[in-house]
Amino acid sequence: MSQKAALVIGGGIAGMQASIDLANMGIKVYLMEKKPSIGGRMAQLDKTFPTNDCSMCILAPKMIECANHENVDLLTYSELSELTGSSGDFKAKIIRKARFIDEDKCVGCGECIEGCPITVTDEFNAGLGNRKAIYKYFPQAVPSTFAIDRRGTAPCKTACPAHISVQGYVALIAQGRFQEALKLIKEENPLPAICGRVCHHPCESACTRSQVDEPVAIDFIKRFVADLDLKSETRYLPQIKKKRAHKVAIIGAGPAGLSCAYYLAKEGYQVTIYEKLPVTGGMLSVGIPEYRLPRDIINAEVQVIRDMGVKIKTGVDIGKDITIEQLREEGYNAIFLGIGAHKCTSLNIEGENLEGVYPGVDFLREVNLGKQVSLGDRIAVVGGGNVAMDTVRTALRLGAKEPFIIYRRSLEEMPANEEEVEECEEEGIPIYPLTNPKRIIGENGRVKAIECLKMKLGEPDESGRRRPIPIEGSEFIIEVDGVVPAIGQESDWSCLGPESACTLSNWGTMNVDPITLQTDDSDIFAGGDAVTGPKTVIEAIEAGKQAAISIDRFIRGVNLREGREREWEPVEDVPTEGYDHIPRTRMPRLEPGDRANNFQEVQLGFSEEQAVTEAKRCISCGICSECYTCAEVCKAEAVDFAQRDREVTVNVGAIVLATGFDLYDVSPLMEYGWGRIENVITAMQFERMICASGPTTGHLKRPSDGKEPKRLGFIQCVGSRDVRHMRYCSAVCCMHATKEAILAHEHYPELTSTIFYMDMRAVGKGFQEYVRRAKTEYEVEYIRTRPGRVTLNEENQNPVIHYEDTINREFRAREFDMVILSQALIPTESNISIAKRLGVELDEFGFIATPEGLSNPFGTTKEGVFGCGFCQSPMDVPDSVVRASGAASKVAEVLAQHS
Amino acid sequence: MSLRIGVFICNCGTNIGGTVNVPEVVEYAATLPNVVHTEGNLYTCSEDGLSSIRNQIDERDLNRVVVASCTPRTHEPLFKKNCELAGLNKYLFEFVNIREHCSWVHMTQQDDATDKAKDLVRMGVAKVSLLTPEEDLSTDVLPSSLIIGGGISGLSAALTLATQGYQVELLEKTDRLGGLLKNVNMVFPSNAPTAELLDPLVDSVIKHDNIRVHFEVKLVEVKGFIGNFTAVIKENGGTGELKIGTIIVAIGANELKPKGMFGYDLFDNVMTQLEFEQRYRRGFNGLKKVVMINCVGARTDEMPYCGRFCCITAMKNATLLKEAIPEAEVTILQRDIMAFGKVFEEYYQKAMQVGVRFVRYNVDRPPEIKGAGDAANKVKVYHELMGRDLELDADAVILTTPLVPAEDNQALSKMMKIPIGNEGFFMEAHQKLRPVEFPADGIFIAGCARYPTEIVECISQGYAAAAKAAAPMAQGRVVTEAFISKVNPLSCSSCGRCIEICPFGAVDWVEFRFSPEITREIATVNPTECKGCGLCVASCLSNAIYLKGFTDEEILAMVGTTIAGHEFTL
Repeated sequence: MSQKAALVIGGGIAGMQASIDLANMGIKVYLMEKKPSIGGRMAQLDKTFPTNDCSMCILAPKMIECANHENVDLLTYSELSELTGSSGDFKAKIIRKARFIDEDKCVGCGECIEGCPITVTDEFNAGLGNRKAIYKYFPQAVPSTFAIDRRGTAPCKTACPAHISVQGYVALIAQGRFQEALKLIKEENPLPAICGRVCHHPCESACTRSQVDEPVAIDFIKRFVADLDLKSETRYLPQIKKKRAHKVAIIGAGPAGLSCAYYLAKEGYQVTIYEKLPVTGGMLSVGIPEYRLPRDIINAEVQVIRDMGVKIKTGVDIGKDITIEQLREEGYNAIFLGIGAHKCTSLNIEGENLEGVYPGVDFLREVNLGKQVSLGDRIAVVGGGNVAMDTVRTALRLGAKEPFIIYRRSLEEMPANEEEVEECEEEGIPIYPLTNPKRIIGENGRVKAIECLKMKLGEPDESGRRRPIPIEGSEFIIEVDGVVPAIGQESDWSCLGPESACTLSNWGTMNVDPITLQTDDSDIFAGGDAVTGPKTVIEAIEAGKQAAISIDRFIRGVNLREGREREWEPVEDVPTEGYDHIPRTRMPRLEPGDRANNFQEVQLGFSEEQAVTEAKRCISCGICSECYTCAEVCKAEAVDFAQRDREVTVNVGAIVLATGFDLYDVSPLMEYGWGRIENVITAMQFERMICASGPTTGHLKRPSDGKEPKRLGFIQCVGSRDVRHMRYCSAVCCMHATKEAILAHEHYPELTSTIFYMDMRAVGKGFQEYVRRAKTEYEVEYIRTRPGRVTLNEENQNPVIHYEDTINREFRAREFDMVILSQALIPTESNISIAKRLGVELDEFGFIATPEGLSNPFGTTKEGVFGCGFCQSPMDVPDSVVRASGAASKVAEVLAQHS
Repeated sequence: MSLRIGVFICNCGTNIGGTVNVPEVVEYAATLPNVVHTEGNLYTCSEDGLSSIRNQIDERDLNRVVVASCTPRTHEPLFKKNCELAGLNKYLFEFVNIREHCSWVHMTQQDDATDKAKDLVRMGVAKVSLLTPEEDLSTDVLPSSLIIGGGISGLSAALTLATQGYQVELLEKTDRLGGLLKNVNMVFPSNAPTAELLDPLVDSVIKHDNIRVHFEVKLVEVKGFIGNFTAVIKENGGTGELKIGTIIVAIGANELKPKGMFGYDLFDNVMTQLEFEQRYRRGFNGLKKVVMINCVGARTDEMPYCGRFCCITAMKNATLLKEAIPEAEVTILQRDIMAFGKVFEEYYQKAMQVGVRFVRYNVDRPPEIKGAGDAANKVKVYHELMGRDLELDADAVILTTPLVPAEDNQALSKMMKIPIGNEGFFMEAHQKLRPVEFPADGIFIAGCARYPTEIVECISQGYAAAAKAAAPMAQGRVVTEAFISKVNPLSCSSCGRCIEICPFGAVDWVEFRFSPEITREIATVNPTECKGCGLCVASCLSNAIYLKGFTDEEILAMVGTTIAGHEFTL
């Protein structure tokens, strides 16, 4: 059965005209356009030749007619994905790309633009000006709807275990919007000042900037805004939603517990944290030395959580002082276990029980709690992680003369933060890689020496790191006063009594659902090191946040899993060309001499200037930074980041192709200097410049100095009629240049123009008269020649056109204030994919082929598919609209024949 | 029924609300006469705003609605439709623009902008009070089309309309279809015989059930308007009438005969391109040296326009000759080679490849033809690039001339009230975006009658004009907005100014009977043709014409209310 409907591909003037004609014939039309608005190239033009009508003034009514016509369905920001069927009955699958804006809700007011921190080159303005990531394609766009330019989620955000909108806060910081940045961070991470010091920052490892030079110092930037907030008079407190009576108990005041508490408190729950240690912060306080993470920073961030109404009870040993059962009896609706992993893993070698062997975490805890611990002068710290580094550096600060590190793999495999290793070396602490302890030798029950083996690296193990293999017979002995094993930690589950149904894994970690973090006991949730074994702060924070989401759902009685199994795919194909090398900003540190004997913070923090400079290095991988400012300001609530591309299928009897043209990239025409000489621009750039709605609001300004030009030189056939580029004539440039010269003179009566041309192809109705008026009324000079090259007068940045005067047969050079290149117009690149999907053939240039020639100027190689306008061959606007109306007739024939 | 006016004032986010104090304007509007409801909306055009208007029409029994927001250009249809949805006649709606006319232009003067917004709203309320309910007008459209001219454009239009299922009356003044093209041997760019293109087309047209071809016919008169035209024709010695819904003018053009130029009248072997094709239809008869001169009668002060495809015609004939007689010397004297686009540039390259020589001359130093007796034998030309004269031997000199308007254009123009431009060709409704339409509804134009047009463009325009003609025929009726002009017969002085000034031919004479004895011809506006532009109203010296929706009472009420204490009446 025939479908009384047609698909028109391309929403430029030809596509719109075909759609209107078809719709007026009572045929349902789907008008598909890949850009966010219909209008096409004509929307970019200021005036049209030869009548000098304002282009937009005659185009806009057509656009509105399309939008308002009851028979036209606009499918903007869409691409064809597949075509099946045959003439009379096609099925076209169309991808409607996500705008991230609800078209029905957006009223086009534009309030969202201001807050958007991302600036990108404005293609509508031919690259002369910028626009925001959230944008309306042009002011008169139809539909009058915004779109968010989102390439995808930046790798920093996908790599971050907490999925903080990293690109978002970096962008905000680059604009000096520190408080907004902090607020955005705190949406996902309540402890940014802490993380800004001790995070292992996988965001930086994933940072695309490293393909240009070095990754952005994301962590330090974050620390800057977090510190700024902690230092401010009123710290940022999130808006607490409606207060709820439900109570939640959290066991452990480490990062997981604190994070869980923060997000539950934000939801309005009554939260109490029970902490065994006398201090809050868990491993942050007792595992990490103060010179890396000052206690006042921990206290400050914890205070914010207290200010949100969370009660923290320290020194309460769950299982001893109070049991889980008692908590339930006290009316807690849910319990979160975030007890961490504070028990040191043993080395399992001979001599581990000797006096002078002190587990790393125990050592750090004792020291951090203010106890005096002395191990002697020569101390072997075994391990390559941050605990090992912290231990050895702490030992140094406590007066040990020769603390050192023994590590079984090579330096590259060391899991400790790079900076910490670096700082360790700065402090003169030796690291012995590829060395493993075999036994600890004692004398009188006390450590005397440690026997070690040399190692070599074998094949990678399941962690991806190369497995260390002992070298036989390489044993050697080092005399030491103390040995500190720092090779791992596990959890202490004495808090759990028989009343809980929770179970543990073989590794001694809590069994939980990986998404909801619910344990085998439905009201108990767990996260952090207690579930994963010793991991990072940020992972614990994320676990706390996820547990908070689960607990909220658990209490509200809604599905815990729904919508949470999200795969985080980083954006790919981020262009990294064209960036200048800018070195990563270094973190200022306390001099090694000033820090080895004390616990003052080593890393001093970025200044505002450093933070902003560093933030500006971000290359905006995702384009949209996901800072959500737009969503916040949109009163119409039209912003929808959950939107995804969706597929629609339309049933049509025939198809019209009207894909228009692209602008030829003139940079390969080195002789004309575009890209090298600032004051050489393209005709489309000139068009946008002279257009009142363009980036210079209609003022001609030289790109080099913004000065008003007095003499313009137009070079015709740039890339056209040229065997090295496009052999064909682009058909409109002679008149286009003439128009631009006329307009320029109208704007500035002093201004003169010279057009360098090969043939003045003024073949249309009124065109000869137009050229005559250009010469006689608008001081436009025409010189028949093909210029050889354009050079630069360095003194005034004027381009100089070198050409042969064909009348007087002399070589000449003429200096202009600005040179405009009439670039070739080429078939759109999308023709290739569209042709493939439709099954139509292209000609050698990429235009839609018309195999039947004169007898059917609209025909393609596929029955029922017609072409019109520039996508078939270069032509001007009237010719394009004629072809469009003609193609509409062809469609009507098909639909009539099949009905 | 008493007036119950609702006024809805839009903030447009901060577009209006950021400058104009909208709550103040809302409060003010409530004080205006007959206003029973006012409200401010964040966006009146959003579903929230629209449903609020509908609800208020229903709940408060509103019988007039004013929206003060953005531009009627984009939003008036939306609000009118919304009123209709709520059961209110859409002509009882008034749009006030307080964005473009107020907040945007007075962005820095918030108080003044608010005052102006109040003024504009007051004017809107004054006007809406006087509006009366109106109905859209509609006429039926006959599903048949008159095509004038049986050349390639007319044939193309006829065939597609017939294929789409419409009846076609095709008028051809000669006894053969094919127009100018039937005199052409080969067509560019394929260089295939014209018959291959033309014969199947003519055949299909003649055989098509939906097409009636009238040969040797003369169009005498066209009456009526879109949907219901009557064409009076003379054929076979009799007069007949055709009833049609739409008309396509495709009467073509003629080749210029260059009388008095380049020895055309003096020498037998100086001829036009078309004459050359006809004379050497069966072979080139051993021509060895041929000079072609382009732009004869074109692109000069007297004949300013470019013939668009004459260059291509010259290249075609030159190429065919070179291919037939490779040793022949063929030179084209040209001013610019108009090989625009993809196909023609390639055609140009091909002509050069086969050895056609192109010599550029300057219009100020035109070629000279020399000859003996009735034959030209030399062409002298100043070679612009070499900077000296050349003397070329010539067995034949071919003058490339443009097409000129057909002699019937003037008569047809008068008969159908369709305009003609400076060059004598028909003038389309809009050069850029309405190339195959006339300002008057239901009449369309295709091919060389509009401007010299090459074959593929003629075909395209035929199809395009057919699409335009098909639209009203497919719908079966045309609907016009109610805001059109009307003549008060008693005031009309029969001066005829309105008839002259109407760009759409919508005003015409009609016999009016004032009493059983007195009849007089007065002006009348055809509602189907009137576009409501108001030119006739402004031109009328007797104040006999008014435009609905913009009556003097309505306008003066608006003006009057801007000046406190003044009331304007007629």
